[in-house]
Amino acid sequence: MQTHRMNFPLSEADARKLQLGDQVVMDGEIIVTAGLPTHHRLVDCLDGQEPFPFEMRGQSLFHLGSYSRETGTTKGGQDLDIVYINPTTSTRFNPVMPRLIDKLQLHAVGGKGGLDKLSVAAMQKTGCVYLSFLGGGAALHTQAIRQVLQVGWADMLMHYRLVRLRVEGLGPVTVAIDAHGNSIYASAQATAQANRPSISKFLDEQRAHFMNPSSKTNP
Amino acid sequence: MAITFEQIKHVTAELYSRSLRGIPADAMQALKEADQAETHETARHTLRIMIQSAQEAQSSGSFVCSDAGIPVYFVRVGTQARFSGDVRRAVTEGFDDLVQTIQPPLLTHVTNPMTNERGYKGKDMPIVTFDLVDGSDCVDITCSPKALGSGRWAALEIFSFPDLGTIEQYILDVVARAGSQPCPPVVIGVGIGGTFDYAAKMAKEATLRPIGQHHPEPMVAAMESRLRAGINMMGFGPMGTGGDSTASAVHINYAAGHGFTPVAVAFNCWINRRTRARIHNDGRIETIE
Repeated sequence: MQTHRMNFPLSEADARKLQLGDQVVMDGEIIVTAGLPTHHRLVDCLDGQEPFPFEMRGQSLFHLGSYSRETGTTKGGQDLDIVYINPTTSTRFNPVMPRLIDKLQLHAVGGKGGLDKLSVAAMQKTGCVYLSFLGGGAALHTQAIRQVLQVGWADMLMHYRLVRLRVEGLGPVTVAIDAHGNSIYASAQATAQANRPSISKFLDEQRAHFMNPSSKTNP
Repeated sequence: MAITFEQIKHVTAELYSRSLRGIPADAMQALKEADQAETHETARHTLRIMIQSAQEAQSSGSFVCSDAGIPVYFVRVGTQARFSGDVRRAVTEGFDDLVQTIQPPLLTHVTNPMTNERGYKGKDMPIVTFDLVDGSDCVDITCSPKALGSGRWAALEIFSFPDLGTIEQYILDVVARAGSQPCPPVVIGVGIGGTFDYAAKMAKEATLRPIGQHHPEPMVAAMESRLRAGINMMGFGPMGTGGDSTASAVHINYAAGHGFTPVAVAFNCWINRRTRARIHNDGRIETIE
């Protein structure tokens, strides 16, 4: 397990260097949203129905919900403070992520829970990693926010907006899907399925032993 | 004396607010034990960040998770308890007031399932379940906010005269389907028997039982132990990125039923949000968890 401190948005070259299980600490710029309607709207942008609120190509897009509030003063970026951020379940976005990863040439995505095999294939093609954030990590993740750079789609619910943030030392997060077609989530499911026969045998033996402690099966 | 509207309103709001800012002592202990037992390096690392995150939220008074979920209350009313005002309305008004004042503020998670519109209010919100406790002179309130992360993976199936092996296989199926998603290590609550509605309620209540407390009947306790061991052989691990620590507990409740046997399975994520207090007839407020 290696820990890397890397600049974001993550470059394709950096993305391709990372291995499954590696830890990453982030500096730089990221874009966050927790909204399914936001993802559909991004697809509409790809279809030319409206412009993107800001440059999305080559960015690092994470499934993180955020609560922001106005500060009343502009500190170089938007006059907003982020009160907290935390990941949401990425698999909700499975239907749209392959297209967003491919068309926007994203090199880092993330959140919690992973993405499906169509996204894994798109990520291999563009050179993109999936980073697993700690769910229930709001107190730690929030400390890394340095500035709100831009907020897109202020007409949407707060946690659905696209928020461009400058962060310093965000993480560590775990590389859970790499840029070479490997997914911790897919291998965890495969391992669980492969282990089912031995787990069933274990449960049967334990149950039999409880019902008849003098039986010869090992407890 | 009697339990007042203001007391119910204040206590239920406070239970919700407090549940967001730390994790129960049993959940913290479970993480520390998992860290000792875990054989995967990345998993140990994740467990340690979990502990750090919970401690940081607790000391700073901030939220552990940005998703405060929806407010869910289990209210056990003593048959000797006396009320001087409306109880259901007190819980609703307590939450309505809380969302206006709570710091940090809450995101709008209350969702109308017919339109997917979100806000702070909604039909039947907060979700409240009432039960009676014979002989008790207090109202015992547990708050367990629920969000999508672990909430969406609960499941129920109805079997006909199943043996224990069949029930255990179904529980493994539900855990495998949830897989890496529900922020493991999870507490798994199981309800067996009764009826459709009652099995679901038993499973939910089972998630509220403190970690490490087994069912009083040895046969059920043994089933809890072997299922936890079996589930931890699946390999999902903390945050689902691999490891031995998938379930910190399996809690099973059962009730007699007919030959059709519902089996309900519910999950609490690692933060296992849960607070509990009692309000007595004499005005005393007792914090249990």
